[in-house]
Parts: sequence; C-alpha cells; structure tokens
Amino acid sequence: MSDRDTDVPDSSGPEMQDHLRIPFISRRRALQLAALGLGAIGAPTLLAACGASTAATTSGGGSSAGKKGGDLVIVRDRDSVAMDKTTVFSNGSLWVYQQMYECLLAMTDDGQGVKPWLAESYEMAADKMSCTFKLKAGVKFSNGQPMTSADVKFSIDESSKTKGGWEFINTAIKEVTTPDDLTVVVKTKYPWAPLLADLSCPNNGIIPKDYGGKTAKDFYAAPVATGPFMWDTWEKGNFIRLKKNPTYWQPGKPSLDTVTWKVVSDENARAIQLQGGQAHINEAPPFSSLEQLKATPDVKVELFPSTRTDYIMMNQTKTPFQDVHVRRAISYAINREAMVKNVLFGNGTPANSFLMPTVPFYDKNTPGIQYDMDKARAELKQSSVPNGFTTTWLGLSGDSVDSAISQIMQASLKDLGITLKIQNVDGSAQHDMTGKLQYEIAHSYWTMDLADPDELVQYALDPDSGGHSFQTGMKNAELIGLSRQAAREFDKTKRQALYTQIQQKAAETAFLGFLFYTPFPYATRSSVKGFQVLPTGYYHMENVSLSS
Amino acid sequence: MKYPVYVAKRLVSLIPVLFGISLIVFFLIRLIPGDPAATLLGSHATVQSVAELRSQLGLDLPVWQQYLTFLGHLLHGSLGFSFVYNSPVTDLIATSLPVTLWVLASAAFFTLLVAVPLAVWAAARRNGVADNIIRAVPVIGLGLPSFWLGIMLILLFGLKLHWFPVAGFGTTIPAHLWSMVLPGVTVALTLAPILIRSLRASMVEVLGSEYIVTASAKGISRTRVVLGHGLRNAASSSITVLGVNLAYLTGSTLVVERVFSLPGIGQQMINSILGRDFPTVQGITLVFAIMVVIVNLLTDLAHAALDPRVKLA
Repeated sequence: MSDRDTDVPDSSGPEMQDHLRIPFISRRRALQLAALGLGAIGAPTLLAACGASTAATTSGGGSSAGKKGGDLVIVRDRDSVAMDKTTVFSNGSLWVYQQMYECLLAMTDDGQGVKPWLAESYEMAADKMSCTFKLKAGVKFSNGQPMTSADVKFSIDESSKTKGGWEFINTAIKEVTTPDDLTVVVKTKYPWAPLLADLSCPNNGIIPKDYGGKTAKDFYAAPVATGPFMWDTWEKGNFIRLKKNPTYWQPGKPSLDTVTWKVVSDENARAIQLQGGQAHINEAPPFSSLEQLKATPDVKVELFPSTRTDYIMMNQTKTPFQDVHVRRAISYAINREAMVKNVLFGNGTPANSFLMPTVPFYDKNTPGIQYDMDKARAELKQSSVPNGFTTTWLGLSGDSVDSAISQIMQASLKDLGITLKIQNVDGSAQHDMTGKLQYEIAHSYWTMDLADPDELVQYALDPDSGGHSFQTGMKNAELIGLSRQAAREFDKTKRQALYTQIQQKAAETAFLGFLFYTPFPYATRSSVKGFQVLPTGYYHMENVSLSS
Repeated sequence: MKYPVYVAKRLVSLIPVLFGISLIVFFLIRLIPGDPAATLLGSHATVQSVAELRSQLGLDLPVWQQYLTFLGHLLHGSLGFSFVYNSPVTDLIATSLPVTLWVLASAAFFTLLVAVPLAVWAAARRNGVADNIIRAVPVIGLGLPSFWLGIMLILLFGLKLHWFPVAGFGTTIPAHLWSMVLPGVTVALTLAPILIRSLRASMVEVLGSEYIVTASAKGISRTRVVLGHGLRNAASSSITVLGVNLAYLTGSTLVVERVFSLPGIGQQMINSILGRDFPTVQGITLVFAIMVVIVNLLTDLAHAALDPRVKLA
C-alpha cells in the first residue's frame, strides 16, 4: 500500500479542511466505541460464567470428599482409529479399548509374566498341547448379560478367523472347546510356550457371543464388554470418552465416572492444558520439557519402565550393508552415552541387546557392540569398503529424536570415512519405503504387546513372519532355527539359554544397531492417584482416582 | 445486473473450478509415497493385513477407475468414506467446518474492531503523534508468528488471569463465543496492520476530496462527515483487502487451531494428509475451494453494497 502522505505533496488538490482534522473523535463516538469494545470482551465472559464450561475441572462431581468419582482427561497427540480388537494396531486405539475388553489372563505389572484375570485359574496339560481355564463366576457384560465360555470361544475364534489383523498371534491355536459354561479348553497345534502371553493380548479380549446379535460393524461402533469402563461417545478427531461400568466384577472399582482422551496436536498446548487444570494426564511430553514440568507446581512427572527400544536398521539387500564388517563398524561407532544425554536428556539407558530388560528372557550379560572407534576402524579395514563409502539416512521429518540421532551418527561416521547424507520424509512415506526395503539406513523402534519375547524375536529374525527381519532383509538360518526352537521350549532354564544364545549371536551379526531403552514419560496433576503404566504402554484405569 | 442473477452466475462458474481441483488433488495425493493401509495399520502390521486392507479400500484398482468411483460419489452428493474413521467424509467435515467458520468470523470481527477505529483516528489526525504511532506499532503484529502470539496470549489471559479458556471450543454457544476471543485476537493482530494501512490511506485520499468540502459546507457535523461520508467511501477498497486476506486465511487456520486445540478443518486436513486418508483430503480440498470462492463472492457483494457506483458484471 502506498503511503499517500509521502506520494502526494500537501499543496496539491483540495486540502483537508482544518476543522475536519478532528483533534479527537467526538466524545460521544469514543464512548460508543469503548462500550462496544468492552461489551465484545465482557459479554461472552459474563455469559460463559453462567454457561457450561469446556472439558473437565480438576475435581469432578462428588469427589470433594476424596476418592470417589471424577472425570479424568488425558491429552495426547493422536486420535484412536477404531475399536475393532481384531484388526487395529495403533496404540492410540489399543490403550483406549483395553479399558473395555478384558482377557482370560492379564500381564503382571512388571511385564514378566501373566496372572489370572477373567479366568480364575488355569492348568497346562502334561503334553503341553492344551490348557484348561476355569472362568470367574458372576462376571457380567456392561449390558447385564453374564459372561460364559461360549462368549470366550467366540471371542478367540473371532480374532483367529479375521484376516488382515492380529490373527498371527493365534496361529498356534488349533481349537477352543467349552466343556461347560465356566470352563474353556484351548488346544494348540504344537507345544507353544508363548500361549498364555498370547491369550493376554488385547485381540483375544472377551466380547459377547455373535456380537450380542448385532453386526460386527454396529457392535464395534458401540462395543459391549466386561471391562471397568463402557462406551460413551466419540467425536472423531476431537475426543473419545468412556464411562464407568456399573456392573464391573471388581468390587469398589472403578473410581472414576468418566475417562476422556482428548486430541491436542501441539505439545505446548498439551503442557498448558495440564498446567491450567483442563487435563489431568499428558501423554508423552517431549524429554526436553521434563525438567521444566518437574518444576511446575501441582504437576508430577513419571517415567514408567517400558518395552520401548530404539534401533538403527541397515538394509542388507543394499551394498555394502550385506557385509557384516560394515555393520559391525557402524555399530561400534554408535555413541550411546552422547545420545542418551543429548537426545533423551538423560532419560534412558544404552542398549546391549535387541531385547529389552522389561521382557522375559532378556540377557543383561550380552555385551553387545559398544562404542569404540578404534574397533570401528579395524572392522572397516577388514570390510569390502576399507576406505569408506557414501550412504543416505532415511529420516522422519518432524521427529526430533530421529533428527538428533542421524546427526550424531553423521559426525561419528565421518571419522570412519563414511559420508552419511540425510533425507527426510514424512511418517507414512518412511514406513512405506522401509517396508519395501527401499532405503539404506534408518531409525526405528519397537514396543511389545505381550509378556513374551517371541513377538519381537519372530518379527526381527524370521522373514516368514512378514517383517523382512525387522526390515533388514536378513536371512540367517541359524537364528531362524534357534528362534523357532525357543518358542516351543517350555522349560524356563532351557528357554533362557536359547534366548541368551540368540541375543549374543544377533549382537555379533550387528543386523540392527541397538541404541537405547527409554521409559514412557507421563506428566500428571498431583490430584491423580494410582496411575501406573505397564511396560507395554497399557494402564489399568480402574485403579485410578482423583483426589480433590 | 440484479443480485440473484449475479450470485447464480458466480456459483455456476464454481463448477469447472471444482472439477479441475478435484482432478489435481486426486492424482497429486496419490503421487506421494506412503500407503494409506500401511499407515493405518502401523509398524506391527503383517504384509497380508496391509494387502487385505488395500483391497477393502479399493486401492488395488487402477487409478482412473478409482477416480471414476470418486466422481460417481460426488454426483450423488457424497464425498466418500474416510479410510481412517470409516465414516462419511461429509460427517467429518460437518463437525469441523463450523469451528473454522467461527474462527474466521471472530478474526474478521476483531480485525475490524481494531483496524477501523485506529485507521480512522490516524487519518483524522494525519501526521500527528497518534498517526505515527498507529502506523508504526502494528507493523510488529505483521512480523509476529501467530503460534507464538497465540501461546503468549494463552499464558497471560488463560493461565495467569483466567479470563479465557486455555484451549478447546466449548459445548454451548456462550462457551464457543468465549473460546473464540483469544484465537480471533491472535489472527486480528496479524491481519489488522494490513487493514489499518490500507484503510488509513484510502481515508486520507477521500477526506481530501471535493464532496467532503461540500458536505461540511452544508453544515453536517464533523463526525458524520468523517464517518458517514469519508469512511463509507474509503471502506470499499479496504473491504477487498479484508476479503482477500480472509480467503487466504481459510486454508491457514491450521496454526491457530493447533495452538488453541480447536477441532477445525485445518487440523483435520493436516491429519488426513499425514494419515494418507485420501477421501478426506479430497473432500476438504473441495470444501476449501468452495469457501474461497464464496468469501470472494461475499467480498464483491459487500463492495457493491457499500458503493453504488460499483456495477456487478
């Protein structure tokens, strides 16, 4: 916009008359505008003071006396996808529907095994080919109907039959029979050690037989199950809310009236909502913000031991990563201490194995390949590219952890004569390209869904499970054989020995660069009691209460 | 030309625009690497499950066939089904669009509230102290990033003073109004400088013209001359400036929506792109196109209403 003052000299054309250069807009006009302005700001304030408020207040109705009731709000950066337990993989959906669907067995709080849940006892047959479960009596679905073995059979078979989802967890199951209303027998095709852990996986959650008469689609739009919370509303993209199940089988639980998971994409906005009391729990605040959060009054930061492990993947179908010396050289160049300090801000521990401490049969004595630049150089000298080479890191745009790791690696590898170029793409593209083995080197991570290492071991070592050996293209016959053998071994000592062997050999072949183990960070208001996150990321909302 | 005929003509010209945009966005989103089924299922998914889902979503058909299906839906008034939520895209947009419209309305309101009095005052006291301040200070608003400004306002007015909600949209009309203040002010502080300068410049030009002299010679009060004659004439060009900026803003409310946690259509667009939810991306793009055309149409109509000399053609 041209400024007419400088373009047009004052003397040309009719000048603004003196008396029109109002020294002040008339008092009446000024007062009118001021009233309008104040009204615009004041009126909504007054109206809203008598109107409804937005999300929850810090203490809900009836909780002023202490522990009962309350509406809990969790803020997170993504929404759920669907409530279908057979096909949905996203944690954003799982951690919500796990408050509704319960299994025969539940994972123990330390993640090392399972405990009876909807089944009050179980007995493995001597030939290890079947397991008999006795169901708890008096368990009801949230619609008042009693749970029976027919519902259990339906629920497990449903997941086994539904293609395109979690059916791979149930591949060892041959059939499920129901001798009486409170007894279920699960038969397997071969002795299968992970069976109990598999039955605690959310895809085997118990729902009413034949979807209670509805179609699958209608059922999953408003599910009915035995869990502490039942279906309430879902405003897609905004929030999902579950409400208390009045017929829940655990006496005195749950304490909360409702739990709402709100979608707030901006991490600063999440922190502000927690501070302001509009949210009670902030899921996964960035590590860089933890110190500041710890210093905030009424907010506590909790770091729950998790199964999350980060890795560097190297694509063995691309030269020179098929050469074990190259992979070992790169692994020796990983400065884990620096990463834990600068990327995780101290919130993590260096990894020595592709399994993590929170999963059964982890071997803490596997030395792994630890940071040693001299050994890195020695390995590279023995490789097919002793003078170094150039490669491209496929990074995840917008992910500060990925970005920091790639830059630390770029600096370390330069020392070896390896030039690391960084290419960033968005999440979906990176997932696509790594899945099709169209990358050279990239970062990835894993979290377990059940208390048995087999889920990860299969994915990481056995190409037949569909993951291309954790997208590295590795086909190591010895490791494949050992992993299959370990899954069928029931004796805990022998099974541990096999997994120890697997971890040591996997570390030696450096098929993945093991980075670090990190906890699940959560920031909660101090009024939240009893919130505990299990190593798979799951939490039991029935144990949570809000004090005022 | 009569208003209804003009409006009808403009709306009809919308059709080839929409057709062209639908074609472009349909093919463009499919060029980006990243498969909707794989994105949806996550990193633990097996190859078979991804293939199954692709087939269910119709992604294994040839692209031209997918486009024809999309056009077919469009002719029946449907924008297809979201890959992510499995609900009709029109339902998703119906919940998010109103939020964005509230933001735009609030932005327009506060922009006018700030810009008009300041511009008139500056023009009336041209070259005075007030004028110089009014011209210089708002430029800071132009340079401020809106996400920073938004967070600052939330920290002060939301967290410290508790005058306004820290986030969200509310569930009742009064709550909506209350929650729209800070987002509206945030946008207004970045839009107002542009409007102030343009309005002030037109006001200065208008206040120097002959009919103003005539009006004051007729004995009309100073206020009525400046506001009734001066402002009304000067406003017409500034309405265009405001309209163009609001139309531009239509697609950029994302930042404000993110900062204030408003479940609007900008948020929904970015989430659908990242989630490769093709039908939602296509649907929202078409809605954006319609909104831009309508905002431009309203601007032209307002312009014509304010200035009888303007002929709609």
